Amino acid sequence: MLDNGNLENRIIEIYRSHYLDVYRFLICFTGSQNDAEDLTQEVFIRVLKNLPNYNEGNLKTWIFSIAKHVAIDHYRKKRFTQVFKDGFFKQIASTEKGPNELFEQNELKRTVQLAISTLKPDFRAVVILRGISELSIKETADVLDCSESKVKVDYHRAMKILKKKLHIDAEGGIGSAN
Amino acid sequence: MQTDKDFFKLMKESYSTEPRKAFVSDTEYILRKNAKRLNRKRTFKIVSITASSVLVFVISILWLFSFPETEQKSSLIGENSRDEPFIYIYHTHNQESFNSVTKTVDANGAFHPSTNITLVGEKLSQALNNKSIITLHEKRDVMKELGEKGLSYEESYAVSREFLQSTLEENPSIKMIFDIHRDSQPRDVTTATINGDDYAKISFIVSKTSERYIENLKFALAIHTLMEEEYPGLSRGVIEKSAAENQNTYNQDLRNESLLMEIGGVDNTLEEEYRAIDILADVIGKIIKKRE
Repeated sequence: MLDNGNLENRIIEIYRSHYLDVYRFLICFTGSQNDAEDLTQEVFIRVLKNLPNYNEGNLKTWIFSIAKHVAIDHYRKKRFTQVFKDGFFKQIASTEKGPNELFEQNELKRTVQLAISTLKPDFRAVVILRGISELSIKETADVLDCSESKVKVDYHRAMKILKKKLHIDAEGGIGSAN
Repeated sequence: MQTDKDFFKLMKESYSTEPRKAFVSDTEYILRKNAKRLNRKRTFKIVSITASSVLVFVISILWLFSFPETEQKSSLIGENSRDEPFIYIYHTHNQESFNSVTKTVDANGAFHPSTNITLVGEKLSQALNNKSIITLHEKRDVMKELGEKGLSYEESYAVSREFLQSTLEENPSIKMIFDIHRDSQPRDVTTATINGDDYAKISFIVSKTSERYIENLKFALAIHTLMEEEYPGLSRGVIEKSAAENQNTYNQDLRNESLLMEIGGVDNTLEEEYRAIDILADVIGKIIKKRE
């Protein structure tokens, strides 16, 4: 058991070295800065609560697995807004591109965000953990509590869907995942 | 965009990859506070294990020898819990005032550093306290804080949220939260005449973005329905703010019974506001009483 002052120092140390990773995972997952911040806070409060029971293992994957749970809980609670977003995405995707380059750039980013937000949460988690958080396949499997081969398969499927949504020639990118 | 790498580069660029600085330090503060509380709880647990066996012994002795005395004790405990605040009243736009006060003609000018919506909240707080419902009324000045921190008006909800969060931390007994505003709509929209007197009409605003949307909505409907039964025409109804992107939660995500209320509008007088408050306090009192 940790003694008194230690718990506080420990959580602050963990928070400082991991909050950016957690925040980046969550902003990609939720697409909203407000949500990502609220959920980041939630993650570290859960980390703090469970810290006395946490013994060994990879700290990073432990924190990410908490972040994944928090993100998915959040997704379930907010599912009704998803219906709205789906509709919105279709609208955006079919809009013709404007002549302005800056506009196009913003449009593209927006389209990327919307494409990710329409992925089912399991796929979203795999893509973000591998692509943004840059975890290894083994680490990702630990976080998601599944086999390494499931990580690989889900990743490929998710990327395929994303590229389809972004009207990108799917053959270009696939295969460079490992 | 040919490879996955390019895609992730684009993805990283699509989001703001840094949280706000204020958020980072706030979270650190919250974690420190929670860590301290957890430590206290753990020490308490050890003490309580030894203490509880002693307590069981003492209580059984008391029960055996003086039955009336233990009865008195339990009723005392009941009263104690009633002394803790149950409702928190605050004002995100705390300097919202009335044309009759500021001698202005529209909502853009009707702001005042002291004679403002805070007086209406204070009145509600007193009216509820008179019904033995303990309330806490926020006196801190959101607008002043905004000015000092150099934040824009849009960020007032973030500032009032800080007040709200610290209050909830110190007073976990709080179950209901009211953010009291006045509308900027003209007089004919915000005024009702009941038995010859003019009253400020009340609307209840529920954010659909909040995780506690359904609970908040139920609560708003309960107040609206009872008000409509007893004083028809006073309520302007429940207004749900739709789930557009970045829709404000109005800080309604922290407790199940959090509401934003517009009491009257910029053209109402304080007297009309106070009349509406008396009825509102009455209705809230009845709702709380029904649950007991």
